Amino acid sequence: MPHLAPTLTQTIAADGLERFRQNLGPFVMAAETTRMAMLFTDALVGGHPIIFANDAFLKLTGYARDDVLGQPFKFLMARGDNPLALAQVEAAFNGESGGHFEMRDRRKDGSQFWAAVFIHPVPDTAGKIHDHFVSFVDLTDHKREAEHLRFLLDELNHRTQNTLATVQAIAVQTLRGVADQEVVETFEGRILALAKAHRLLGHHNWDAVTLRDVIERILEPFGVRDSASARFSIEGPMVRLAPKAALTLAMVFHELASNAAKHGALSRACGRIAVTWRTEAAPGGDRMMLRWQETGGPPVAPPVHKGFGSRLIEGGLAQDLNGDVHVAYERAGLVCRIGMPLLPVAVG
Amino acid sequence: MTSVGPERRVLVVEDELLVAALLQDMLTDLGCAVVGPAARVAEALALIDAEAIDAAVLDVNLNQELSYPIADALVARGIPFLFSTGYGADRIPEGYRGHTILQKPYHGSDLGRALTGLFPAWPLPILRVSPVRGAVAW
Repeated sequence: MPHLAPTLTQTIAADGLERFRQNLGPFVMAAETTRMAMLFTDALVGGHPIIFANDAFLKLTGYARDDVLGQPFKFLMARGDNPLALAQVEAAFNGESGGHFEMRDRRKDGSQFWAAVFIHPVPDTAGKIHDHFVSFVDLTDHKREAEHLRFLLDELNHRTQNTLATVQAIAVQTLRGVADQEVVETFEGRILALAKAHRLLGHHNWDAVTLRDVIERILEPFGVRDSASARFSIEGPMVRLAPKAALTLAMVFHELASNAAKHGALSRACGRIAVTWRTEAAPGGDRMMLRWQETGGPPVAPPVHKGFGSRLIEGGLAQDLNGDVHVAYERAGLVCRIGMPLLPVAVG
Repeated sequence: MTSVGPERRVLVVEDELLVAALLQDMLTDLGCAVVGPAARVAEALALIDAEAIDAAVLDVNLNQELSYPIADALVARGIPFLFSTGYGADRIPEGYRGHTILQKPYHGSDLGRALTGLFPAWPLPILRVSPVRGAVAW
């Protein structure tokens, strides 16, 4: 940049700086040498011209001090011509949004970076605001790390799905011709249910998913989205589930639905399943009470011996989720009641 | 090239041996003839040139190679196909997202429905596998 004679703005900036040095004395030294990038801007002139830039700021942006002194604040913005971005900056100078915001800045070499910016007014003893203090935290590494984590999580989800696909392939090919077709299909169904639950969690970054998400995803092969048949009714308030609860409940619903397809309501054209739940406050935290009720199926009777499904439903809920479960073979159809504690703290 | 016989000829592109074998079984159950499986891009492109193919099932990630050149070759010939992948749909580049994406692992009936979707005017003769499975000794 060619060196020009001082412009009017630069002269005003120099005056501002002089006043600033007189007012703040030794703190100027502290500001100059700290590793946090910071500026002071003049509040008495429009455009918030820069009257002070510390070494850390120059290092962060690649500018020389003369490049920035006297320049309006928007000079630093990658989108200084964008009215929305400008309005956000102006709002921060006015103390709205607590003076915090994230902005994309432009370095001298034209490259851009994200910074968390904090703007605070500096009043004199009479309360008049002469200057603004502006600090910058470079978010480039932070954003890059977040991206990298996102990538790793994607890879993990991908590998989980591929591994489960391989397990499915091994199982089906090992058992084919050796075990009953029904055994193969049951095993395959369970692997696929587990994969679905993992996929759902993957979509939500292994953060909490909702009970309705889990139910709809698992019951999809059983026609839950088939509005024409309307075999299912699913009703209850929004409930968020921790990953472990989501996985266990996914397997439980899969077993209940598989059983209904074989022995219960889903084995008859007119059979229906109602899944309803409510939450209630309890001394140890909120609990959820869920009811799976089948109607319209053939008469049901308790199984002669307990298999994987019953064990998973009764044991899994009790052991994994500290819940209780009761399965009743009522005349109208099977009823499964589940009570379990919910996430201690609401997420999101 | 499109075959004229009643049997649907489906190209399988999948680098995981066991998964490819399962896919072959699924397609056989659906009454399709399997072309391949091909585990590499070059192999798949050669098969597309040499064989009569009605449809294809493409794994996306083939041992560090991506299967998009195969997708392009199929598009150029007007052969319908679907992606079969462990990645979510958001990892498929935008230009390819219009194609059917089956997320691994899936059931044979899911594959059957997806293939039927590729041929709306020529549905698969039978879906021999039921989407609803029973539980053993529940």
